[in-house]
Amino acid sequence: MIYKIIAKQAIEDLFKGLQENYDEVAGPRACGPAFVFDKLQHACELRLDYESTILPPTKYFLAPTERLMRFNRVTGESYDSEPVQTSRAIIGMHPCDINAVLLLDEIFLGDFIDPHYAAARKSTFIIGTSCMPTVGHICNAFGTDEIHRGFDLFLTDLDDRYLLSCRSVPALELVDKYLAASDPTAKDIDDFQERTKRFKDAFTFTPNMDQLPLLYGAKYNDEQLWKDVGDDCLCCGACAAVCPVCYCFDVCDKLDASGQTGLRYRSWDSCLKSEFAEVAHNHNFRPTRASRVRYRFYHKFVGNFSRQGKMLCVGCGRCMRACKVNITPARIIGALQQSQIDKEDATGDGIEKADDAE
Amino acid sequence: MSDFEHPASSLASDRPKVIVLSLASDFGCQVQLSNFPYLLESLSTIDLAYWQLVISADMPTDYDLAIIEGAVTTTKHLKLLKEVRKTAHTVIALGTCAAMGGIPALAGHGPSPEERLEDCARTVYGDYAARIAQNRIVPRPLTDVISVDYSIVGCPIDPEEFSSVLQYALLGVKERPEREPLCAQCKIIEAPCFYTVQKLAADDACQEENNKLSGLYRGSTDIPCLGLVTRTGCGALCISRGRPCTGCRGIAQDANLESARNFIREQGRSVEEFDRALAIYCSHSMNSAVLNDHSQVSG
Repeated sequence: MIYKIIAKQAIEDLFKGLQENYDEVAGPRACGPAFVFDKLQHACELRLDYESTILPPTKYFLAPTERLMRFNRVTGESYDSEPVQTSRAIIGMHPCDINAVLLLDEIFLGDFIDPHYAAARKSTFIIGTSCMPTVGHICNAFGTDEIHRGFDLFLTDLDDRYLLSCRSVPALELVDKYLAASDPTAKDIDDFQERTKRFKDAFTFTPNMDQLPLLYGAKYNDEQLWKDVGDDCLCCGACAAVCPVCYCFDVCDKLDASGQTGLRYRSWDSCLKSEFAEVAHNHNFRPTRASRVRYRFYHKFVGNFSRQGKMLCVGCGRCMRACKVNITPARIIGALQQSQIDKEDATGDGIEKADDAE
Repeated sequence: MSDFEHPASSLASDRPKVIVLSLASDFGCQVQLSNFPYLLESLSTIDLAYWQLVISADMPTDYDLAIIEGAVTTTKHLKLLKEVRKTAHTVIALGTCAAMGGIPALAGHGPSPEERLEDCARTVYGDYAARIAQNRIVPRPLTDVISVDYSIVGCPIDPEEFSSVLQYALLGVKERPEREPLCAQCKIIEAPCFYTVQKLAADDACQEENNKLSGLYRGSTDIPCLGLVTRTGCGALCISRGRPCTGCRGIAQDANLESARNFIREQGRSVEEFDRALAIYCSHSMNSAVLNDHSQVSG
């Protein structure tokens, strides 16, 4: 890794460099009261001060809907199955989202390589940026508040300048060609340390992660616990749609109007849909909302953890914003950690909503 | 449910004979069919024998596939439908009125549908109510009268969806209706949530932003977004045009009405208002006990 210092205004030069080298430059821009990752035309649209975005930038690696191939039903031929190659630079990914990409890598580039994911990953240049935690950010609980790989370039905001971490050869070439960069001084490093301290202190709430996978297993059959969340769940799947590490997809065929040719595509799916666990003869092995919510978080906190040693949550807080009825990782963790005795002592109806405290 | 196992078996002819007819509706869904850019391609797969809106010839007496728009509102409709069901191998309900009663069904909304219908007739026809439309019955969807093989919801329907379902029908493939509410789709198109915007716009602390925000969801702030419980599949069309969801695709099978109503209450909104808005398209399903049974099954 090579470290450099650039002035804040140098972002415009960086943006110009990216535009000259990539088909598309994507980054966070304002959209009403929210932010979204989108294709940017000008550096002035870029909002590196964003808190969070509606969808995570992982949408560029696993798209909401994606063509897998086209086919001719009559002749049995298939064609257009090559992944679309757009070289893209994404600027402004927070550490949690880059960590999410690393988690997806283990899934899509592990035992089986997904050609579409691999192609998108290969043609993407990632520029990360530092952030400040606000309400709902619990990345510190998952160790995803820091990132040391998975990016080409990382910008740490030091108020009037950026500390640049260059991890790849294309990143170094870009810096050399387009940016007036200097080597970090002792003052820069001091400021970086001060910023890091400020960042760590800014977390107002950290869920209690002690023995979570074991606890989950032990309380898997706690009917009241799961009924409470199941009763609230609107079953809309918004949480899964905004989750950077929810990766389930459905594969469908759609025939054209002629009935001869058609499209096979994949689109995001969600284990909260009743159809998700429906099998032959209309049997559904997760027929209730409670069982589906329980399963979703089980996969995140236990399933993937026992397989790869990592939980499938990066604490980005998007699901907390998307959910209308306060079903969040913090609430589930809080409910799991609550002792049986406390629960019985508590007046009112059972589990306190954990992130009410935030 | 259909009374045969493999719809394709009798649609064996290369180009099945198709009729398109309308009961009580504004013909909007038929107009939508004519708006379909690939209509001619679609027509090449069928023998279109009758289309009420565009063909002046009489309706034939033999056909394979009947596409029916509109709600059932008269005894004449009942007779026609029984006839169609006997003749057609496959029946497609076209649009919200045909598939779930839609707006016409409002005339039978409430605890005593018959009385409500007479009230409506008196409001519209005054003293003539007894003499006009004497064969009227409480409005209902096709599914209450005959078995329907495929349903396409939406007010109006999405021609693309029609094209897909028509292909399903021609091949005898089972339909896979969406079951979940709209919210996830709003996230996918990255539309800021109606409720978040409304909340921010109502906040005095950010008056400056309010003008900008109020432009985001035009129309009345009194009307809640019904996407919380409405069946997805439209691509969040209204929201993408800056309007809250009006629920034209009906209440989703997976919807959790009770929790949605709690949410509405927590927002400081009126649940009665929410239910009234929901009834515009969904009065028929709200009247039937099926809905209440269902919420327990998936609870």
